[in-house]
Amino acid sequence: MSFWQATIRRSVRLSRTYFILGVVMSVFGTILSNMSSFIPANIINIESTSIDFMNSIPLASVALLSLSALIFSTPVVMLFVFDKNTGVLEYLLSTGLDQIDVFKGYVKASLSLASILLAFSNVFNTAIGIYLGTSLGLVANKVVLTFAMGISGVLLATVSMMAFSSLQKSQMGANQPLGTMIGVIPMLPAFMAPFLFPSYAMVIVISIAVVTSLFSLALLLLSSRLIPREKLLP
Amino acid sequence: MQKLELNEISAGYGVEEVIHKISLKIIEPSIYIVLGPNGAGKTTLFRTIGGILKPFSGQIKLDDADLFDSKDARRRIAYLSHLSALPEEMTVFNALKYYADVEGGDIEHSLDLLNLSDLKDRKFSSLSQGQKKRVSIGKIFLRERDLYLLDEPTSNVDPKISKEIRDILIKLSKDKFVLYSSHNLYEAREIGTYLILIKNGELKFFDKIENIRAKQYRVGIKSLNDISNLLPESKFDNGYYVVTVDNPTTVAKIINDLVHSGAELSEVRELDNPLQEFFEE
Repeated sequence: MSFWQATIRRSVRLSRTYFILGVVMSVFGTILSNMSSFIPANIINIESTSIDFMNSIPLASVALLSLSALIFSTPVVMLFVFDKNTGVLEYLLSTGLDQIDVFKGYVKASLSLASILLAFSNVFNTAIGIYLGTSLGLVANKVVLTFAMGISGVLLATVSMMAFSSLQKSQMGANQPLGTMIGVIPMLPAFMAPFLFPSYAMVIVISIAVVTSLFSLALLLLSSRLIPREKLLP
Repeated sequence: MQKLELNEISAGYGVEEVIHKISLKIIEPSIYIVLGPNGAGKTTLFRTIGGILKPFSGQIKLDDADLFDSKDARRRIAYLSHLSALPEEMTVFNALKYYADVEGGDIEHSLDLLNLSDLKDRKFSSLSQGQKKRVSIGKIFLRERDLYLLDEPTSNVDPKISKEIRDILIKLSKDKFVLYSSHNLYEAREIGTYLILIKNGELKFFDKIENIRAKQYRVGIKSLNDISNLLPESKFDNGYYVVTVDNPTTVAKIINDLVHSGAELSEVRELDNPLQEFFEE
């Protein structure tokens, strides 16, 4: 078992509350995603507004499903702070690892956890969507957008959190929630875009996901230069 | 490994330089005691040699490999810090396995060496401080290294375990380099062959401990009969006749004279540790 796989196992043991919260939010996302299929059309007064609720609400649920992945992977970033304070990161450096190796281990772990939840929620969501007669195009769009936004958001949150936690002067990981908040920022347009720019929602969300991923990867690769080894010491 | 060489190493944290231009060359497998007051730079020195901190300037070589250019060289070093550096939420076995997964190694060997087999299913966080220290030491013996950097390995450990650890290190030092920081001067003198003294981030002394000469030696002599008339210059303190001499070789003559004069000696002991004087200078 490699370092990142061991990190996944440790994260799962560290706090189950986040996993439960992530799953619950994922269920809510799935319900929201398919709500337009099982709520009678006359409840939503479609003719009084120009917004296409039937298609916008399922796309807006992408943000909620992405957020559930972020919450699901939060124990990994908590573990990073914990390991820094208990000297585990210092010992890992002493085994010959560089700081980029350490960062990559935690990033891989958080992305893996996020992928697991996203995979399950998408399978579940797709199955329900097909059962309720949602168009295959919309179902496919939701899958692509959820993965793109979820993975990029988790990547940004993990990298930001490690950067903030490493650079803060005091211990305790007080900056850890800051990274999570930053990970939420790119998800906000995904909430609004389907309502404000329904025709371009897909393009907007994909573009934000690509930019977020590229920015996060650049930050990760630069981390060995931006964050000196001493910042990983307790 | 044949040598560890530090060439004018300066290192620290951020912009603060903690150790200044330290140069030393170690070529003999042995125990090297690193002494120095708190804040002298011992931990920074260990972290730098251990490849954890990158030096501001200077070079560290293991044999002919530059430490910071070679991951393989860094893998030949074991570092034990003050902290346990083990995942608290795991059992002892799984905590060691965590590192064995990262860097390879034999968990059973570590468990046997440190007598940890009875604890292997216990959660690390439930152990006593001494037990945690043993497990922490266990992780550096998962695989063989050439250089061992041990920052106060016997702190928080009871005397029995402390002795076991010292015995392991003495055996290890037959063919490995062991750098050992300690505040226990008697322990240092007992197991160390060389002394590295660090003060204010500078190397103040590096030589064999046996070459250290104190300015004066206080020897305590216990006798079953009154020998105050035989040692008129001595002071009686805590049951000992205390004699101060300039040279330890003088003690043999004093003892010999006392025995020939009818003294019934029950104990002769050195009251001060020469390292103490050295440490406080």
